[in-house]
Amino acid sequence: MTQQLSVQRPAASSDRSAISLAVHVDGVSRSYGTVRAVDDVSLSVGRGQTVALLGPNGAGKTTTITLLLGLARPDRGTVAVLGMSPEDAVSRGLIGAMLQDGGMMPGVQVGELLAMARNLFPAPLSIENTISVAQLEGLEKRRVDRLSGGQSQRLRLAMALVGDPELLILDEPTAAMDVEARRNFWHAMRGFTDRGRTILFSTHYLEEADATADRIVLMARGRVVADGTPAAIKNSVGLRVIRFAVVRAETSGFDALPGVVASSARGNRVELRCSDTDIALRALLSARPDAHDIEVSGIALEDAFLSITDGAAA
Amino acid sequence: MRSYLALELRRSLRDRRYLLLVVGWPVGAYLLFSTVFGAASDRSEGLAPTIAIMIAMATFGAMGGVLMASGPRLAIDRQVGWLRQLSLTPISPVRVLAVRLITAMTLSLPAICLIFLTAAVVKDVTLPLWEWPVLVLCISAGCLPFAAMGIVIGSVADGDGAQGLTMVLYLVLAALGGLWVPEQILPAPLQTVARALPSYHLAQLGWHVAQGVAPAIGDGLVLLGWFAVAALLAVAVSRRLSLRAA
Repeated sequence: MTQQLSVQRPAASSDRSAISLAVHVDGVSRSYGTVRAVDDVSLSVGRGQTVALLGPNGAGKTTTITLLLGLARPDRGTVAVLGMSPEDAVSRGLIGAMLQDGGMMPGVQVGELLAMARNLFPAPLSIENTISVAQLEGLEKRRVDRLSGGQSQRLRLAMALVGDPELLILDEPTAAMDVEARRNFWHAMRGFTDRGRTILFSTHYLEEADATADRIVLMARGRVVADGTPAAIKNSVGLRVIRFAVVRAETSGFDALPGVVASSARGNRVELRCSDTDIALRALLSARPDAHDIEVSGIALEDAFLSITDGAAA
Repeated sequence: MRSYLALELRRSLRDRRYLLLVVGWPVGAYLLFSTVFGAASDRSEGLAPTIAIMIAMATFGAMGGVLMASGPRLAIDRQVGWLRQLSLTPISPVRVLAVRLITAMTLSLPAICLIFLTAAVVKDVTLPLWEWPVLVLCISAGCLPFAAMGIVIGSVADGDGAQGLTMVLYLVLAALGGLWVPEQILPAPLQTVARALPSYHLAQLGWHVAQGVAPAIGDGLVLLGWFAVAALLAVAVSRRLSLRAA
């Protein structure tokens, strides 16, 4: 059976919209011991999208990926991948994945390993193509246990790509990479999505998600706290702040000002996180003439991102 | 599945430390023992010492080849995350385990064949022609319990632990099973233990064939029993290999 045929075959029990989705997660929870790693998460990804799962460590990104790959089963809720169970999608060779704890067969050469893995898939890429996309040229004869960190990461990518999967699931694919390696990596990935394939990857870098994804799903403490285009996510996060002091003791109501995402106050000092500081400042000055010592500044992406994920979980 | 099996075999035969341990050691031991005891006029197991020791060392080597190829390697593959990576390809977990079992069983052959060759060439051992292939087959097939034991060890222990555990098991099975010294010289309680071990019965099987008599059904049944127990255990613990559900 070819890959395309098996994708298009409708699953008897699913509705049509679920079949056309690359990922369909509905009300899924999963605990490890007393820790609820994923808590009532729902997520749908259409085919051809590049979606970033963004969040700090412990947000539930890896658990979500584990569930999508069928390596764990949800305690509650349903997971469908390409209109079927994750196990079926994996056994039909429709998914390629890079795991953080995925290792390679010790004692064999890069070329041997890729050739073997290729034979396990129904409609794989050529070895030459895989090696060139993953930038492993010249390393074919190298033993897999004698690769550098960056080379190992590229081999993991090659193993994910060699089956030419419909859906690529990458858990922190660029974690061990420097800036240039990261750029090369995403350049290679564009070739993949240009052919209509779907990518879902996790990262804890907002810049990376912003630069590479069509859509960002922000996770914190096992929940999805925001879901939208990178622009929308950045607006809701609020990347600039206005800090000022007030004379009147009343410090509530600032959230309602236009351009303001969130506010916090300590004593008579107030801090507004804003999507648009120009609009917010004009509104602030007319609403609160007692505001003084006004300071406008940018905040680091990571700080903004941490503050929203903390706030959402509190 | 075939390409995975081929790669498993290729990496085993490329592993020099492994080959030295499971082929070099038994061949060396054969040369030593058969030279020291080979001149003795008394016959053990109703066979010339060079033949009896040949069977014992072939059993020893085959058992080591199988044990070392299954347990420690499986544990390391699990530890480094290779089994997890493999479970994301279309190959089914049952087939992965089948490949591991076939690989381990195949690796009983290098030691058996090399020891037979050494015995024939260096020690002028002669047997009726039909006995050679039957011996190879019997000793190799009789290693099935060890392959299953290896899968149990590889599922529960980490890399270093599995290496140590396998080594201890290997030496106990060899020493108590009468492969190095006849079990009759052991203290009586240990003799009882010895006669329950699969290694003892596997050697008995080989000695019978070399004597030209039919192998005892009892030996085969004990080996099957050990295999059944180890296989059941393996099925129970192999979910720890983090292979996806079948």
